Amino acid sequence: MFNKILIANRGEIAIRIIRACRELGIKTVAVYSSADQHAQHVQLADEAILLGDAAPKESYLNVDKLIRAALDSKADAIHPGYGFLSENASFAGTVESAGLTFIGPSADSIRAMGDKAESKILMKQSGVPTVPGFEGLTSDEDFKKAAKEIGYPVLIKASAGGGGKGMRVVNAESELSEAIESARREALNSFGDENLLIEKYLADAHHVEFQVFGDKHGNLVHLFERECSVQRRHQKIIEETPSPLLTPEIRAKMGEAAVAAAKAVNYYNAGTIEFIFDPILSSFYFLEMNTRLQVEHPITELTAGIDLVQWQIRIAAGEKFPFTQSDFHQHGHAIECRVYAEDPSNGFLPSTGRLLQFLEPRGPGIRVDSGFKAGSDVTHFYDPLLAKLIVHAENRDAAIQRMQAALHEFIVHGVVTNIDFMQAVLKHEDFAQGKVSTRWVEKNLELGSLLPEQQVPAFENLIAAALADVVFVGAKAQPAVSNETDPFNPWKQTKNYRN
Amino acid sequence: MKINFDTQTLEINPSGDNYVATMDGKTVSVQVIRAEDGRMDLLIDGQRVNAHVSSDMAKRWVTINGQTIMLTKTSGAKQGVRHDHAGGLIAPMPGQVRSVAVGVGDIVKKGQTLLTMEAMKMEIRIQALKDGTVKTLHVSQGQTVEREQILIEMED
Repeated sequence: MFNKILIANRGEIAIRIIRACRELGIKTVAVYSSADQHAQHVQLADEAILLGDAAPKESYLNVDKLIRAALDSKADAIHPGYGFLSENASFAGTVESAGLTFIGPSADSIRAMGDKAESKILMKQSGVPTVPGFEGLTSDEDFKKAAKEIGYPVLIKASAGGGGKGMRVVNAESELSEAIESARREALNSFGDENLLIEKYLADAHHVEFQVFGDKHGNLVHLFERECSVQRRHQKIIEETPSPLLTPEIRAKMGEAAVAAAKAVNYYNAGTIEFIFDPILSSFYFLEMNTRLQVEHPITELTAGIDLVQWQIRIAAGEKFPFTQSDFHQHGHAIECRVYAEDPSNGFLPSTGRLLQFLEPRGPGIRVDSGFKAGSDVTHFYDPLLAKLIVHAENRDAAIQRMQAALHEFIVHGVVTNIDFMQAVLKHEDFAQGKVSTRWVEKNLELGSLLPEQQVPAFENLIAAALADVVFVGAKAQPAVSNETDPFNPWKQTKNYRN
Repeated sequence: MKINFDTQTLEINPSGDNYVATMDGKTVSVQVIRAEDGRMDLLIDGQRVNAHVSSDMAKRWVTINGQTIMLTKTSGAKQGVRHDHAGGLIAPMPGQVRSVAVGVGDIVKKGQTLLTMEAMKMEIRIQALKDGTVKTLHVSQGQTVEREQILIEMED
C-alpha cells in the first residue's frame, strides 16, 4: 500500500480523496494555486504545496510542477480526481515514467477511449451497440450519402471532441455542407484535428451511464446505472440511481454491454460507460467512456454499498478486487443535486464572492460533499460547483422528499445559487414521472415553466433585512462574516467594488 | 425610519420592546424573539418567521422558508434600467477579460464581438449592440472585472 498520495485537484473532490486516504492510513499532499491559499482542501491535507498562479495552466494543469511536487514530497502515487488532468493520457504516462503510480486506468486505456471515432469502431467490434452512423468520411458527397442512409436529423461531431465543441445537429440536407465546414473549423481550433463523424441524432433521449470497476488482475464488474438526464448545455445538474426507466432485463443487458466496453480497452480502476437511452424503443447506444472517477460517484457508493475512492487506491496499489458481479445489488434510491454558484435569473451566469453564510443540511440519509464554508471565497477561476448534496432513502418518492427537505435547509449567502431552480425541477410532474430527457431543461426554460416570474420580495423579507442593521448590532455575535465597516449606520449605501 | 430596498420602501420604527413596520399601506407589529449568528426569529403579527440574514455593504441576503433573495439598500431614488449606460457595454458576470478584439476608434458592426470574458470555465462574447465606433476601452486583456462594470463605451 502507498505511504503518501499527492492529490492533483482542488475543492470537494480533493477533500473526498483526503478522507479516503485518512481512513486507509495514507498521508496526503494537497496542491494549490495562489487563489486557493485558504481553501479547505489545503487545510485538511497533511502537507500542502503551492503550485503557482490561479490560472489552471500555472497550477492544476501544470504537469511539470505536479510531478516535481510529488517527488519533492516523496509521495508514491498521484490521484487526479476528475476534470483537470484526470483524462490526460500523456499525464498518466508521465506520472508512471517518474516512478509514481497514477491512480486510475492505464494511459493506453485513456488514449483508446479518448478518440470518439476510434472508440466507436472498437465498440462495434466488441459487440457494444453504438448510435447508427459512420466514421472516417471526408468528402461532402460521402457525408450526404451517409446522412440520407441514417435519416435526418443527424449529428456531426469532432472525432477528437468533447464538451459539445465541433458538434452540430443537422435537420436537412440543405444545412449539411455549412454544418460540416463550421464543425471542422471548430474541431481544428479546439482539438487540432478536423476529423468528423456522423450519426443519427436522438432528440428525446436520456443519458444513462454505468459505473464499471476493475482491478489489474482481469476482474471487472459494473455497479449499475446513474440517470443523468437533468442537464443544461451538457452540464449535469441532478443525477439519480436507479434510473426510473430501466427494467431489470434492460439493466442486465446494459450492464453486460458496459463490462464488454471496458474490457475491450483492458480497463482497470473506476470508469463510466455513458449510454444514450431511447425510452420509446427501450434501446441503448454507447456514447463515450469517462476514464476517471465521476462527479456523481456518491449515488453509486450509497446504493451499491462500496467506497469507490478507497477501492481506486487499493486497486492502484495492486490489490485484487475481491467481489464478483453477483455480490452487488441496488439498495434503495439515491439522488445528487449539484449546488452551483450561478444565477438562473441572469442566464445561469457565474456568481462570485465571499460566502457570508454556508449552512449545509444534516440528517439521516443526507451527505454533503463540499469544499466551502462561511468565509470562503468563490472565485471566477474554477468551476462553479459549491457542493454536492446527496440523499439516500428507501425508494424514489422518499428520496425526492428527502432532497426537497434538505435543499430547503441549505443556506448559502454571498453568491447566488441554483437551489431554487433545482427545487422547481424536483417538484415538476415530468420529473416525478421520470420523463426528463437531456433537452428537457432547455425546452422548459424556453417555455418559461422553470423560472419563477420576477416577483417583488415579500414584506417579511424586507422586515428581516431592515432589522439586520439593528438587532445584530447589540448582539455578541455578528452575522458570520460582515464587511460592514460601520454597522451602526443603517443609511449607508456604499458601492463595493471588491477584487 | 424609511428604508429603501431596490424599488420598495419600508417604514420601520421601534414601539416599546417591539417594532411597527409599514409597506404599501399595510402595517404589522414585529417582535424579535431571538437574533444571533445571522439568524433571527420573529413574530410578525403573531406569526412565527425564521430568517437567515447576512449583510455585505449595501446588500442584504435573506432566507425565509427555504427561499433566498438578495436585496440592495438604495438611497431612495428609483433605479433606472442599468444595462443602458449611454452606449456603454457592461460585464454580465464577474470574471476575467480573456481577449479584446477592438481598439479605440474602430468602426464596428452590430453583433461584432468586441471582447471575450471568462469565468468558471465559461466563455462569453461581448458583442456590439448596434453599428458604431469604439470610444473608450475601460479594460484590457487579463483584467479582472466585477459584474456590471463598464467595459467599453461606444458612440454612433
